[in-house]
Amino acid sequence: MKRFSQLAIPYLVWAAVMLVLPMALIAFYSVTEPGNSIFSFSVTLDHYVTFFTDPDFLKILWRSLWIAVKTTVICLLLGYPVAYFISRCGERLQSRLILCITIPMWINMLVRTYAWIGLLTEGGLIQRIVSFFLPGERELLYTEGAVLLGMVYNFLPFMILQINTSLCKMDGALLEAGSDLGANPAQAFFRVTLPLSLPGVVNGITLVFLPAVSSFFIPKLLGGGQYFLIGNLIENQFITVGEWNFGSAVSMVMAFIMMLLMAVVRRLESRNQGGEGEKNY
Amino acid sequence: MKKKGKRPVGKVLMVFTIAFFYLPILYMIVFSFNEGRSLTGFTGFSLRWYKRMLESRTMMEALYTTFSVALIATFVSTVVGTVSAIGLSKSRKVIRSIMEQVDNLPMMNPEIVTAIGFMLLFITFRVDKGYLTMLLAHIAFCIPYVILSVMPKIRSLDPNIADAAMDLGATPLQAMTKVIIPQIMPGIVAGALIAFTMSVDDFIISYFAAGGGVKNLSMVVYTMSKRINPSINAASTLMVVIITAVLILVNVIPILAAKRKAKDEMKKRRIFVPAAAVLAAAAAALVLFLRPGGSGKARPFEGQTLHFYTWGEYTGENIIGNFEEETGAKVVMETFDSNEQMYIKVANGESFDILVPSDYMIQRLIQEGYLQKLDRSALSGLDNLTDSVKNLPYDPENEYSVPYFWGTVGIVYDRTKVDMEDLEREGFNIFLDEKYRGDIYLYDSERDSFMMALKALGYSMNTEDEKEIQEAYDWLVRCVQTMDPEIVTDEIIDNMAQGRKALGLIYSGDATYVMSENENMGYYLPQTGTNLWSDAMVIPANAENPELAHAFINYACEYDGAYDNSSFVGYTSANEEVMEVLSGEGGDFEGISAYLPRTDNDKDEVFEYNENTRKLISNLWSRVKIAASNAK
Repeated sequence: MKRFSQLAIPYLVWAAVMLVLPMALIAFYSVTEPGNSIFSFSVTLDHYVTFFTDPDFLKILWRSLWIAVKTTVICLLLGYPVAYFISRCGERLQSRLILCITIPMWINMLVRTYAWIGLLTEGGLIQRIVSFFLPGERELLYTEGAVLLGMVYNFLPFMILQINTSLCKMDGALLEAGSDLGANPAQAFFRVTLPLSLPGVVNGITLVFLPAVSSFFIPKLLGGGQYFLIGNLIENQFITVGEWNFGSAVSMVMAFIMMLLMAVVRRLESRNQGGEGEKNY
Repeated sequence: MKKKGKRPVGKVLMVFTIAFFYLPILYMIVFSFNEGRSLTGFTGFSLRWYKRMLESRTMMEALYTTFSVALIATFVSTVVGTVSAIGLSKSRKVIRSIMEQVDNLPMMNPEIVTAIGFMLLFITFRVDKGYLTMLLAHIAFCIPYVILSVMPKIRSLDPNIADAAMDLGATPLQAMTKVIIPQIMPGIVAGALIAFTMSVDDFIISYFAAGGGVKNLSMVVYTMSKRINPSINAASTLMVVIITAVLILVNVIPILAAKRKAKDEMKKRRIFVPAAAVLAAAAAALVLFLRPGGSGKARPFEGQTLHFYTWGEYTGENIIGNFEEETGAKVVMETFDSNEQMYIKVANGESFDILVPSDYMIQRLIQEGYLQKLDRSALSGLDNLTDSVKNLPYDPENEYSVPYFWGTVGIVYDRTKVDMEDLEREGFNIFLDEKYRGDIYLYDSERDSFMMALKALGYSMNTEDEKEIQEAYDWLVRCVQTMDPEIVTDEIIDNMAQGRKALGLIYSGDATYVMSENENMGYYLPQTGTNLWSDAMVIPANAENPELAHAFINYACEYDGAYDNSSFVGYTSANEEVMEVLSGEGGDFEGISAYLPRTDNDKDEVFEYNENTRKLISNLWSRVKIAASNAK
């Protein structure tokens, strides 16, 4: 038995080099100033100071968070009813619908985002439909709306699947009990279904919000050259500007914000699970 | 709340959602069969873009890279992940919980952070970025997913099952392969499937971890997305078909296998063997099919490799293939969007044999010692070059560089929308004329944007006076705040060819293409002068094969190579004869004013490199872009 535990040793070494070391390097670069070699450097917090004192960078951070919030809210408003509808369907239909939603997720995200360009560009299908209903020259591509659309499109399936999973786990008898005890459908929904589906909602929010904050090719493809989110700022620092130390600092800031949000979400989740436990008794 | 008949709202919403998910995919598939180049109007069925894709080396290599990396990464990460998961399940609790956290890193971190982590790792330890680094990165982010999917299956196993097997005389290896693994097989298959799709799907990590011209399909789509290129749709459709096929295989094979089980044949490995066989056969077929082949003649550079780093869409259709055919060498081409982007890679020690930077950047590379002097005795094509591109201030004796393309920066305009008088009166200041508000493109190049502003203000574009640069900055900010421009790079080419906007700042070579596509378009050079630029081939100091590099430079200077380049790309050739033929009677670019650069205006300048102004301008340009972003 014990012999098997040795099987993990190579992976421990691998994980230390390939997973932990890179993170350590980002942290290291973020607090140093480059010298002539990696052995001559000086420690500094300047990069963080630059980031947090410059209103332009803060604006980019703010915009990234704000568009992620908008994406999450839209995904929630669209995704909840869809997930709810699916969970009310018969079992066969349900699994087919789930498959329908899953298949696009297997197809390359970049390719699917690229496909939107043809739809949104002038003369494209969506653009023509929109300008038919709202006459007047209107640009869809390279606007914030296009970026928002791209994010909702890419991340909505995560929301639907998460909420659907938790709705399906729900014990149908609880609803019957609720209506037996005199709850009308609305009451049953708001007092039984909704609270029980909250863990799925929380998971869905995490799975949408986190990638939305850090996304950089959706804004680049659909938002055009002058649309900057925090992911674009990082890409820009590493690929075009070459300021790795500053880029690392921005990455650290982003990773830190994410971790903070994750911690908050976990806290919510565990409180929620506590509540669920009580109900089960 | 049981089923209550119909739910019209829910149904409509469901239909809408599914349409939303599939519309872009269908649109892409439909347009991959379009006859024309347009992404908006379907003109007829054709397989032309598939043919184009099969002929495109970049794309075929990208497909090969995508799937070979995915297959190897899947195999390695499945084996390592499974074995490690078994090991971890028997390890002490402390180790287990630490590893759980570590495995979470690539899943919980923003992908871009993981990606730059890999990039910094490879750069810090001087591992040349290429196929191998991409593969390592893929394996690294796939293993946690395999472990995640195998672990629950192991947990649900009876912990004593392996002991029982060994008590009955099995060796530990037998206990693992005959007892544990068959029991957790569903978890392994699921893990392998996740790993495969994650790897095929990946863009961000490959983008930062790969290098040396190695690209997967996502990276190609990303770099090509600025131009309309329906072969991207063709390649994407192919991807969709392959992924769907894999999904079907994975879903169908267990069913088939279950049927066979009933027949009591193939007792062991009944799922794995057919699945593995089919996958391996598919992979082998694909690899053979995509592998760039070579013939066996004895040629001067047989088996050698040329690392060529140049601008995107900057070589002719056949030059690379012909050069390879003739010399037996393999050309690995990598492309950049800006001089600055190229500089970072070179300064970072990546090795290339030939670069094609612009004038001021060549000056900088020379100053900083990144280039080697050319061996004049090995160069044969210098006499073919036109005088205007030789002995320019960035390299007065052409000791380091051989010109490739040259041209000007000017204004592309729609004759039906723009009043010629406005252009002549205002020059570059037309970009501040509110008559054309919302109808202009700016070019995302710090150098040329400032050139435009400085020339509009009547200054030299090489000014070192900070006050003048500040004025130019104010000019640009005013432009982005009052004129609602779009800041683009190569997107301008197709958009102007389709007449989407009235005006744009453009390179002469791109204007040549626009004008040859759309006869309403004109090209105007303001009398206040412009940037007379040239891009030239240089050999870095750390080139691995300077001899082959010289051979390529000669090839690109000769008539055939230069003709192919210039006629295909639309930029003005440095080869005088090619330039005359293409612009002369019956030439591809006859009558297109943008093709022949202006050489008779003494206000036109060539860029010079100055470290201080470069930093200032670079900084100010990013401010202009942020101002543009905030003005919307």
